Amino acid sequence: MSAERPATLPGRLADRARRTPDRVALREKRLGLWQEVSWSEYRDHVASAARALWEVGVRPGDSVAILSDNRPEWLYADLGAQSIGARAVGVYQTNPPDDVAYVIQDSGSKVLFCEDQEQYDKAVAIAESTPGLERVVVFDPRGTQHGDDPRRSEWRAFLDSGRAQLADEPGWYEARLAELDPTQPAMVVYTSGTTGAPKGALISSANALGVLDPFVAELGIGPDDTVLSYLPLCHVAEKLFAVYLSLGAGVIVHFGESIETVQSDLREVSPTIFLGVPRIWEKMAAFIQVRMQYASWLKRRLYQFFARRGREIAIRRLEAGTGARWLDWLLWRIGDLVVYRPLQERLGLRRCWFPLSGAAPISRELLAWFHGLGVPICEGFGMTECGGASHYNPPGAPRLGTVGKPIPGVEQRLADDGELLLRGVNVFCGYLGRPDATAQAVDGDGWLHTGDIGTVDEDGYLRITGRKKEIIITAGGKNLSPEKIENALKASPYIKEAVAIGDGRPYIAALIQIEYDIVGDWATRQALPYTSFEDLSDKSEVRALIQGEVDRANQGLARVESVRRFVLLRKELHQDDGELTATQKVRRRAVLERYRDNIDEMYG
Amino acid sequence: MTLANLKAAASPADGERADSERADALLEIDSLSLSFGAVRALDGVSLTAAQGELLAVIGPNGAGKSSLFNCISGLYRPTAGVAKVAGRDVAALAPHQVAALGVARMFQNLALFDNLSVLDNLLVGRHHLWRAGFLRNLLFTRRARAEEIEHRAYAETIIEFLHLERFRWTPVAILPYGVRKRVELGRALCMQPRLLLLDEPTAGLNQEETEDMGRYILDIRDELGVTQILIEHELRFVMDLAERICVLDFGRQIALGTPAEVRRDPAVIEAYIGGAA
Repeated sequence: MSAERPATLPGRLADRARRTPDRVALREKRLGLWQEVSWSEYRDHVASAARALWEVGVRPGDSVAILSDNRPEWLYADLGAQSIGARAVGVYQTNPPDDVAYVIQDSGSKVLFCEDQEQYDKAVAIAESTPGLERVVVFDPRGTQHGDDPRRSEWRAFLDSGRAQLADEPGWYEARLAELDPTQPAMVVYTSGTTGAPKGALISSANALGVLDPFVAELGIGPDDTVLSYLPLCHVAEKLFAVYLSLGAGVIVHFGESIETVQSDLREVSPTIFLGVPRIWEKMAAFIQVRMQYASWLKRRLYQFFARRGREIAIRRLEAGTGARWLDWLLWRIGDLVVYRPLQERLGLRRCWFPLSGAAPISRELLAWFHGLGVPICEGFGMTECGGASHYNPPGAPRLGTVGKPIPGVEQRLADDGELLLRGVNVFCGYLGRPDATAQAVDGDGWLHTGDIGTVDEDGYLRITGRKKEIIITAGGKNLSPEKIENALKASPYIKEAVAIGDGRPYIAALIQIEYDIVGDWATRQALPYTSFEDLSDKSEVRALIQGEVDRANQGLARVESVRRFVLLRKELHQDDGELTATQKVRRRAVLERYRDNIDEMYG
Repeated sequence: MTLANLKAAASPADGERADSERADALLEIDSLSLSFGAVRALDGVSLTAAQGELLAVIGPNGAGKSSLFNCISGLYRPTAGVAKVAGRDVAALAPHQVAALGVARMFQNLALFDNLSVLDNLLVGRHHLWRAGFLRNLLFTRRARAEEIEHRAYAETIIEFLHLERFRWTPVAILPYGVRKRVELGRALCMQPRLLLLDEPTAGLNQEETEDMGRYILDIRDELGVTQILIEHELRFVMDLAERICVLDFGRQIALGTPAEVRRDPAVIEAYIGGAA
C-alpha cells in the first residue's frame, strides 16, 4: 500500500472499496450459508447509513447508540456515524433496560440502532427516561410492527432512503469524508464499571490506527487472514479485531449464526487470528479435558502422554529459546499427528497462527497447557483508554506470564508505586463529559495512569501483578494480588468464578462458584443425584472435589497466598443482580457486600 | 426466502378470499360426534376457527381432545356431523389429502425420526411438496436441484424462526426433550400449513421452555398468520394465549368463548377446575 493512506477508519474503508471493490470484506452465516459482502458493498451500506443518519438530523459531534449482537449491520451503523463525524456508542445487549437508558442518556444519543424485538422492547420501556432519543432503527423488525411508536424505523427502509438520496447527490459522501478530522472522537466505548458507574471513553481514528498500523506491519497481517467476530462489539478489543484489523489490513471478518453456535462457527471458519478472553480459553480447555477423561483407554493415554510431553517441549523452547533437540522434534511430529492436530481441528484453531488472549489476566498453567498442544497463545494487554491495545507477545517469542512488549509508538514507564504509565498516539481523547476523571487518568505530560501494577523485565516484557485499587493487604502486612489467586483457582475446569478475600484478615479465603455444566456432568457420572445449582453446590462430594482443586491451586501459590478456607456460592453470580459487569467481570465490592455473612463465617 | 414469503404461503390468495364470505372461517365443525362402540368420544361438538385465529381446546383426560384432532386430520371418520377445512369435508379425504389442504399437526408424542438430524427431520415435513419424481431425483436434474435448494432454504427459515441453528446437524435422539418439542413444531411448520394443530405443545416442558413455546405460538400467529388449534392441559398457559377457548368434558362441548367468559362459566368450574376454584 502507498504511504498516503487515509487517516480515518471510514476513509480506509472507501480506500479499500476503490482498490479492491470485489474482494470479500465480510462473511455472515445466514440461513445456513456463508453469505459474502464485498468491499464495495460494505462501503455502499456504510455510505447509505451515513446519509440516512444525516437526514434524521445527526451532525458532527452527536452520538448514536447501537444495541445489538455482532452482525454486519453493527459495522454499517458504526462506520456510517463515523463518516459524518458523529460517534457510535456500543451498548451491551445483555444490559437490563435501566443500564441501556444510562448509556443513552450519558452519551446523549439521538438515534438508537437495535437488533430485534427483545432489544426494541427495552427502547420502548425506557422511552420516558430517554427523552433525547429521536429515532429507533430496528435491524430485524420481526415482532416490532405493532404499537405506534413514532420513533421506530426499519433498517432496510432506513438504508434505502439514504441510498436513494445519495443517488441524487454524487460526491456528497466523499465530501463528508474529506471533512473528517482523524483526531476527533469517532467512538465512545463504555468502560465495564467494576468500581463505579461506567464512563464513556472517547476514541479517535488516530488512536485506533496509531496502534494498528505498526502492529499490522510488524506481524505481516493481510487480506489472507481471517477472524471470527463473536466477542461483544461494544468492547474495544473486539473493535480492534472486527473493525481496525479489517479496515487497516483487509482481514476478512466472519459473523457466525448466534452466540450459541460459536464452537461450530469457529470450526467452519478456522480463523488465522483469534482473540479469546480467558473465559473462552478456560472453556475450551475444560471441554477437551472433560472429554478426554471419558475417552477410550487408548485415546486417553495418548492424550495424557503427548499433552505432558508437549508442555515440556514448549516450555523448554520458550525458556531456552534455543533450537529444538532432535528427540523433541520427533516427539512433536508424532504428537501433532495423533493428538495436537485433531484437537486443534476440533477447536477450529488449526489454521490459527496468532492466537491471542486479552481483556483479563489468564493463568500461566492454562497458557502452558495450550502451548503444549501446539496452540501458542500470546497474551496481550490493552485498555479502553489506550485505544484497545498497547502490549502484545510477538508470536514466536512469547513469554508466559507476561503481556509482552509495547507496540511501536507506545512508551511505558512504571511510577514509584509500581503503577504502569503509558504514553503514545493511542492514548484516548478523554471521558465523555467527565473532565475530572480525564484529568485523573491522563497527567499533564500525557501519561495515562492505567491503575495496574506491574514490573518490566530487561527486554521490556511487561508483567501485570494486579489492580492498584484491589490489592489485598493481609493482617500480616503482606501485599497480595487477588487476581493471581483467583486465576490459579479458575484454572480448574470445575471452577467458574473465584473471589479471593483477605484484606485486613489473617489468611486468604475465597468465594467459589462451580462450573455448573461440568460439575453436573461429573456428578452424573458419579451417580450423584442433584436437582439444582444450589443443591449441587451443597453436596459434600462436590465440596471434596473442589477442595482437591483448591489444594492443587495452592501448590502453585506462595504460602501467604494459599487459600485456607472457601465457601461454595449457592447461586450463580449474575449481571442482573449487580454482581457482574456487562463483560462478565466480578464487581468485587458488590459481591463482598452481598456475601458478607459467608465471609465472616470463614474467619469465624 | 423471507418471512414475508412464509406469510404469503400461509394465507390464501386475495382472489380466493373473495370467493365467499365464509372463506374467513378456515375450520368449520358442525355437530361432530364420534363413537367407539358404546363410548362416545365426541358428542355434538360445533366450533369454527377464523383465518389466523388462535383457538384452544381444553378438558380433562379422555375428554375427547385428541379425538377431535384425529377427526380434523382425517385419521378418524366421525360417526355423525361434519368437519370442514377451507370448505371441504375432511371425512371424504385421506389423511395425506388433508395434509395437502394445509393441515399440519404437532404430535404430543413427537413424530420425529430419532436418528436423522434436525435438518433432515424438517425436510421430511416438506416431503409432500416435492414435485420432482423418483427418476428426476435419481438423475438430480436441474429442476430437482432447484427444488432441493428451495426446500432447504425453507427449512433454514424455520431453523432461524425457532432458533435451532446450533442443533442443525444433531441427531434428534440425543437432543433434550424441550428442543425435540421445538423440532416437532418445526416439522409441522415446514409443511407450510394454513391450519396448525398443536397437541399439548408444553407437556413435559419446564417453566422457561413453556414460556418460549408460548412466544413461538404467538409469533406463528402474528408473523405467519397461521390458524392454530391448541390442545392444552395447563389452564393458565391457555388463558394467557388463546383468543377463544373451547372446553370439552366427556366428549361434550360445555363452553366456548373468550378466556374471561370461560373462566366465569359455572359448567367449566364444575367440570374442569373442580370445586376448589
